[in-house]
Amino acid sequence: MSGLQGLMEGRVVLVTGAGAGVGRGVSAAFGAAGAIVGIGVRRPEAAEETAADVAAAGGTPVILRCDVTIAEQSAAAIAQLVVDYGRLDAVVHNAVSGRSSEATDFENTTLEEWEDHSSVTVRATWRLAVQAYPHLQKTQGSYLLMSSPAGIEGSERAPFYSAVKAAQRGFVRALAREWGPDHIRVNSVAPLAISPALENMKVLEPERVKRIEGLVPLGRLGDPETDIGPPSVFLCSDEARYVTGQTLVVSGGRFTSL
Amino acid sequence: MATAPTTLVIATKSGIGASLAKRLRDRGDSVLHTDPSLDLADASAVADSLRSLVGSGTVDRVVLAAIDPSAFRAAPINSLTEAEWDQAAEYSMRAAFVALQQAYEVLADGGRVILILPTVATTGVADLVPLCTAVEAIRVMAKAVARRWGARSITVNTIEVELAAFMLGDEDATDVVMPVVPVLGQSALPPGSAIDDVLGLVDMLATPAAGAITGALLVADRGTVMQP
Repeated sequence: MSGLQGLMEGRVVLVTGAGAGVGRGVSAAFGAAGAIVGIGVRRPEAAEETAADVAAAGGTPVILRCDVTIAEQSAAAIAQLVVDYGRLDAVVHNAVSGRSSEATDFENTTLEEWEDHSSVTVRATWRLAVQAYPHLQKTQGSYLLMSSPAGIEGSERAPFYSAVKAAQRGFVRALAREWGPDHIRVNSVAPLAISPALENMKVLEPERVKRIEGLVPLGRLGDPETDIGPPSVFLCSDEARYVTGQTLVVSGGRFTSL
Repeated sequence: MATAPTTLVIATKSGIGASLAKRLRDRGDSVLHTDPSLDLADASAVADSLRSLVGSGTVDRVVLAAIDPSAFRAAPINSLTEAEWDQAAEYSMRAAFVALQQAYEVLADGGRVILILPTVATTGVADLVPLCTAVEAIRVMAKAVARRWGARSITVNTIEVELAAFMLGDEDATDVVMPVVPVLGQSALPPGSAIDDVLGLVDMLATPAAGAITGALLVADRGTVMQP
């Protein structure tokens, strides 16, 4: 990922849900761009591999306990980065519910399942924004949400996941306008990539994964680090200084009419 | 002899849903309207209400126009408490889920579900982040449901109208505090009655000819927001 070199040199980024999948890959990409990467995870012991990836790529890893459903933890994670490194340039909210890969029986499920999705993907999206705002205002930084193509097309098997990911897109459009005067940019990426959810699906529904791969014009699911990471870094870098309120679909051409 | 179609309107006490229910009733349609004080995020209350309204039968159309009024209060997100955020953004999402889920139980095969939402999320509006967040979530929830319910030939579509039309319907604006929405475009068509525009689309979607339209977004704003 030599193309990323220096793009985020000395910048401080918090990535939530960074222990695996897209979060891990994006963290490594920010490392390759020279960033100090706050690796936000629920269990710090699960972040060692990500930290090693960030360091190997040339960045500075900082493991942070950050269950985004607990306000005190996300506030403390942001505060630690600001205290230790003096600034916060970007927040990448990638964490999702642990149930995001499960099918939702919409007609028979309960609000409890909705809450699982909403607390991580909707409420934490708002809360992280509020907590990061004064710091991003100082650096004229960037807030990046990891949405999903499901949040655009509406998935039959995942109506809750689709809805909360769509919520993020509505959030991005509105907040980009609200924070524009502060020169804080707000965008989202809708990736189709190997993730813990898809890894689970490979075990539970291998035929479904094969079918998805067959629908991708580029013939494969994206790699979190090399396919999803660079566009994410780009959107948080000065190279995207005039890009805000957008959702970048990174899906190997799977979704072309969104 | 065929029985007249019945429309179930799930809506807040004012705004386009309530106005639509009145217009349908005034012209002689069979209309069931949920109690405006019903807590739409209370699944058992909604289930009881719908079963009480519908009895042992079914309905042919469900119109859902239910955004919590707190979402219309313009405020920067930084100024909101968590409880305010929840009420302005997440409550309406929960309500949409519960309403759709419970409506499914009383819908006839081949029925029509029509959601009415404001256009704000298409462009995004500063100081209305909770509203834009909720609207986009509900719109895509409807698409997912459209995919799920197609096997019963139930269609699920969304009509979007300008925010003022959504909030007011046929009502007088004098008592309503309207959020300041920046002008994001000029309508291509001359001004008209939003309720008539919506009524026309609701009728169109109820026709057999519209049976192949599902998961669609129909924007009835006289050409103000034209999607790319």
